[in-house]
Amino acid sequence: MTTRRRRVVGWLAGAVSLLLAAGTVSAHGGSLAGGGRESITVPTWLFLSTGGAAVGASFLLASFVTDRSFIHRIHNWGAPLTVSDSRLPGVLARGVGLAGYVTVLVIGFFGPPTPRTNLAILLVWVGWWAGLAMTTYLIGNTWRTLNPLDTIALVLPSLDRTYPDRAGAWPSVVSLLALIWLEVVSPLADDPQLLATAIVGYSVLTLSGAVVFGRETWFAEADPVERVFRYYGRVAPIGYDERGLRLRLPGMDLSTPRLVDGRDEVAFIVALLWGTTFDGLVTTPTWRDLMAPLVGAGVPPHVLYPLALVVGFGLFLGAYWLAVRLSCRLTDTYLGADTVAKRFAPPLLAIAAGYHFAHYLGYFLVVAPALWVALLSPLSDPGAVPIYEPPGWFAGVGIAAVVVGHLVAIWVAHAAAYDTFPSRIQAIRSQYPFIAVMVFYTMTSLWVISRPEVSLPYL
Amino acid sequence: MTDDYDVPEDETAYECGYCGRPFAREEWLALHRGLDHPAQLDDEQVAAFRAAHDAEESTLGNFRLRALGALVIIYFCLLMIYALV
Repeated sequence: MTTRRRRVVGWLAGAVSLLLAAGTVSAHGGSLAGGGRESITVPTWLFLSTGGAAVGASFLLASFVTDRSFIHRIHNWGAPLTVSDSRLPGVLARGVGLAGYVTVLVIGFFGPPTPRTNLAILLVWVGWWAGLAMTTYLIGNTWRTLNPLDTIALVLPSLDRTYPDRAGAWPSVVSLLALIWLEVVSPLADDPQLLATAIVGYSVLTLSGAVVFGRETWFAEADPVERVFRYYGRVAPIGYDERGLRLRLPGMDLSTPRLVDGRDEVAFIVALLWGTTFDGLVTTPTWRDLMAPLVGAGVPPHVLYPLALVVGFGLFLGAYWLAVRLSCRLTDTYLGADTVAKRFAPPLLAIAAGYHFAHYLGYFLVVAPALWVALLSPLSDPGAVPIYEPPGWFAGVGIAAVVVGHLVAIWVAHAAAYDTFPSRIQAIRSQYPFIAVMVFYTMTSLWVISRPEVSLPYL
Repeated sequence: MTDDYDVPEDETAYECGYCGRPFAREEWLALHRGLDHPAQLDDEQVAAFRAAHDAEESTLGNFRLRALGALVIIYFCLLMIYALV
């Protein structure tokens, strides 16, 4: 009884200090949402250390929970959901996906050229990449059924060549980085025709992959978009596990060992996390100042963007693997480094989802009325479109999402550690390097957020 | 299990008789047997699990104290810094 009471008191004390820390950040952090960043009234180093300290403090709090059955109960909590036998919802969803796809292509090529009123732009960036992705980690993954390319691939023949095992998820890692690069350097969000052309190119590539290697294999292994949605879907409260469709606490599925089964998939998770950071990094003044002397020395700027993307990804991935090695050494375990790496990568998805939410919720709410107007009159240009103005406290929502993402990640990693190591002290110790890495990721992202936003240099 | 193991050649390993997973310390093996194969244990192994589990409590108690201390330090350091800046 006394240990339990002590534990509760510990939790409360920690929660309060964490809330205070989070409150301080949100008061000064400026706006994450809508791409607009405000200046910060506390010095940057203090803002960053507060964020880092919040992550460290939440780890210490989680480490107070040493009762295995309690952790087990939380992670197993849930209710089975019945799956309807009817094929109608699936067929309807495929129809909706296909209709959306055709709309984007038609309006992209023949609709109004202004980005704020063009339905293709709004449907892709607001409806799909902001809206649908948010529902994926907040509710459940529907992209598996909505995916129009999957539906088209259903009717295409398949050559059923064997997909090389060694390739694994690597094609999806490379193409995810390529998509991030394309999204950053090209005006895909401003030029409807370019967007439609890019989608046609991506479709041709994806469909040929599906024809050569089989639809199921291609979308399970090589398609980056399908994989992004599948991974985000694992953060969601509704999803399939070995017992069928279930409702469970958000993020708790990330502690199971079945999620990631190789270095390739670890790399994909890190690429997803790095992508959200890179997006913001290239619009900081520091990036501009860093580029200026290099461009002056004759390095073409078009080489610098992909170079920075790859170097940064290598840095993030290297930091993760360094943490894995240190964790193995600290815990004195005989588990291979690969096993440890696979176990502790999925929690990072909760962080990625938190950052996505912070970035896109504001953008979604601001532009959603425009999407509605464009849906009603897709071909004519309505001229002025309504814009929603979020209230002043809204900036705090973004910071809160970042903090919640980290809290979930730390808790899930804690549970995974208890599942992996027989000794409780060993489990706690295994987390030290990963917490250091999380602090590094957090401070990097907070630093990016705290910089004023400038337009992309040299593009 | 699809886990891979990495046992250094010059180290002794205590292998689990049920699943073959190696451990660097005997207590960890005892804990592992109790956690992952509870139905198969004999009395001696159960006693070893209990002993290892209890022995860990005191280490955990120490850890909790230090963690609480660290939390307090983090909190007050930040408080002081925010008061000064």
